[in-house]
Amino acid sequence: MNHLSSETFDENAKAALADTHLRGALKNATSLFGERRKAAAASLPNWEDLRSEARAIKDDVLSHLDRYLEEFAGNAESRGAKIHWARDAAEANSIICGLAAERKARIVVKSKSMTTEETHLNAALEAAGMQVVETDLGEYIIQLADEPPSHIIAPAIHKTRGQIGELFNAELGMPLTDDVARLTSTARATLRDRFAAADAGISGVNFAIAETGTIVIVENEGNIRLTTSLPRIHIAVMGIEKVLPRFADLDVFLKLLPRSGTGQRLTTYQSYITGTKRQSTDEGPEELHIVLLDNGRSRMLAHPVTRQSLACIRCGACLNACPVYQQVGGHAYGSVYPGPIGAVITPQLMGIEKSAQLPYASSLCGACREVCPVKIDIPRLLLHLRAEIAPRKGKLSERLAFKMWAQVMMRPSLYKMSSVVGRVMQRFVPLAKAWTNGRDLRPIESKSFHELWSDE
Amino acid sequence: MNNTAREDILGSIRSHLAASVPYDKQEVSRGFPRINADQNPSSSVEICGQFKESLEAVDGHCVIVQGDEGIARALTQIVRGQYIAISDNPEVERLLHLTDLEIEELGIAPNAHEIFRFDVGISTAQAAIAETGTLVLDSTRERHRLVSLVPPVHIAIVRASQIYRTLGEVLTLIRKDKEVSPAITFITGPSRTADIELTLAIGVHGPQELYVIVDEVN
Repeated sequence: MNHLSSETFDENAKAALADTHLRGALKNATSLFGERRKAAAASLPNWEDLRSEARAIKDDVLSHLDRYLEEFAGNAESRGAKIHWARDAAEANSIICGLAAERKARIVVKSKSMTTEETHLNAALEAAGMQVVETDLGEYIIQLADEPPSHIIAPAIHKTRGQIGELFNAELGMPLTDDVARLTSTARATLRDRFAAADAGISGVNFAIAETGTIVIVENEGNIRLTTSLPRIHIAVMGIEKVLPRFADLDVFLKLLPRSGTGQRLTTYQSYITGTKRQSTDEGPEELHIVLLDNGRSRMLAHPVTRQSLACIRCGACLNACPVYQQVGGHAYGSVYPGPIGAVITPQLMGIEKSAQLPYASSLCGACREVCPVKIDIPRLLLHLRAEIAPRKGKLSERLAFKMWAQVMMRPSLYKMSSVVGRVMQRFVPLAKAWTNGRDLRPIESKSFHELWSDE
Repeated sequence: MNNTAREDILGSIRSHLAASVPYDKQEVSRGFPRINADQNPSSSVEICGQFKESLEAVDGHCVIVQGDEGIARALTQIVRGQYIAISDNPEVERLLHLTDLEIEELGIAPNAHEIFRFDVGISTAQAAIAETGTLVLDSTRERHRLVSLVPPVHIAIVRASQIYRTLGEVLTLIRKDKEVSPAITFITGPSRTADIELTLAIGVHGPQELYVIVDEVN
């Protein structure tokens, strides 16, 4: 129930539409995020220039991704980080489980990472006998509830405070409450205990700087700082598309990402981590491992239209702007990445046959393109993917119908006859039932335009 | 060392980029607008005021004082609790001794096991950003990674001359170092979350309160 499949988007969406609580929560969240984003963008005089510049930087990175990755890896390694290359999810998980097992890690703390959601790392670590603790409050809640995230930046957006109170009561033995401050402080206390005991910390990466070998991680809660400061080993997992050429490029992306995501000028914390500490007495982990994950990304480079999917900085703005996401929420997509960006990334990562309904989960209204901080043309991507799907799934009856239509349109005599036949047929045969269930189909006029014209 | 994976991934990137070349020509090339950083020098008073305003907008507290005595007075007013963790910057300890605070335990840059028992953490910062109310902490210059993170209250002492106007100026400054420090942290206000029904809660993992004492005359 909680883990839906992207193969059944249509059914998932129907179930979500019947959930009035969910739709209320989605409406609040998406409209609040949407308004904040708008105000934050308007507060900068050069928002449009920033978007264009960000996209130009990403285009440059993606067109020379091999070079920038090698530069990043070289610089990070020269500063003491260990770089691991993972072709797919299984390889990434086995590298990470191996690192943790070699160090006899029992408790692993994690900060929010969409990439490790994509690889299902938690299941792999648990199978290897480790206790994995998600430390972002939203992620912690859905981990306790055994649910996937429903929004890229607000994973537990679908749950009420009452539901979370019941969950904490059942799982943590906390007295029943729906007071947000008390729920939050209980999570703080419980998780501090885990942080103090953790043997390894696993994080994602927002940006990786080629020229310095730096990884940059942004957050509001402080759990990323704890994850990357307290345990003696830090493992960072990143998609290969996260590289930026220069440190100065952060000036563009740090303006766009928080404003697009939550409407903040800057998130509370940014951690810039460059290799390992210089002296053993310094604070922070002794080891830094960076896992570079492909998992289908390099395939997307093969066409400029699909390539732009890799420019995404995971801000979530397109989810909030999307009239489909606003109604059905994240779980209906049945994939780690929901919303418009999920509808284009998922089929490319997972294979189009497993998620053929997702590129149709859009009215092509273009709201996503308007808000995207890196100007990804998502509607064009959706059409591109639909064009790949259509030849595979076109029905015989549909193809025959279009052939007939083409014949009729090419012969004036047949065309004239068809309007006469249509007028008669409409009286006796119920046409397009699914359409006319909820609306009227206008009757075909008794005289066609051709007939009116020749009468004049 | 898994060289095969590395070569496979780089090879896949190269071959797919090569396959894209015929399509790339059909795409309209994009310009690369450079953004002009507007750099109006501001006076010290102005910049302190802007920093304070930005920090308070994100629920941080800012006290603007003059000289060591002012800092000591502010510390006396702010600090509650007697378990105090400070960074290894001797300046912090010197200023703390100018106060008449009763201190039960003073920890100097306590380690990851010790840090959890302290009520307050005090450090300086290497730079600050006025337009966002941000502190910039550089790990090679001071051991303040944990004192600024684990105790429920963090107090940072900053000189007005360390406050820069924009994020861009500070990023340039960091890049000027021959080697970027292993850990640089930007802090803008106390720890926050809105993960439960989008209701703001302050102090989920990091400090619940952040105070910045700005010395206007230094």
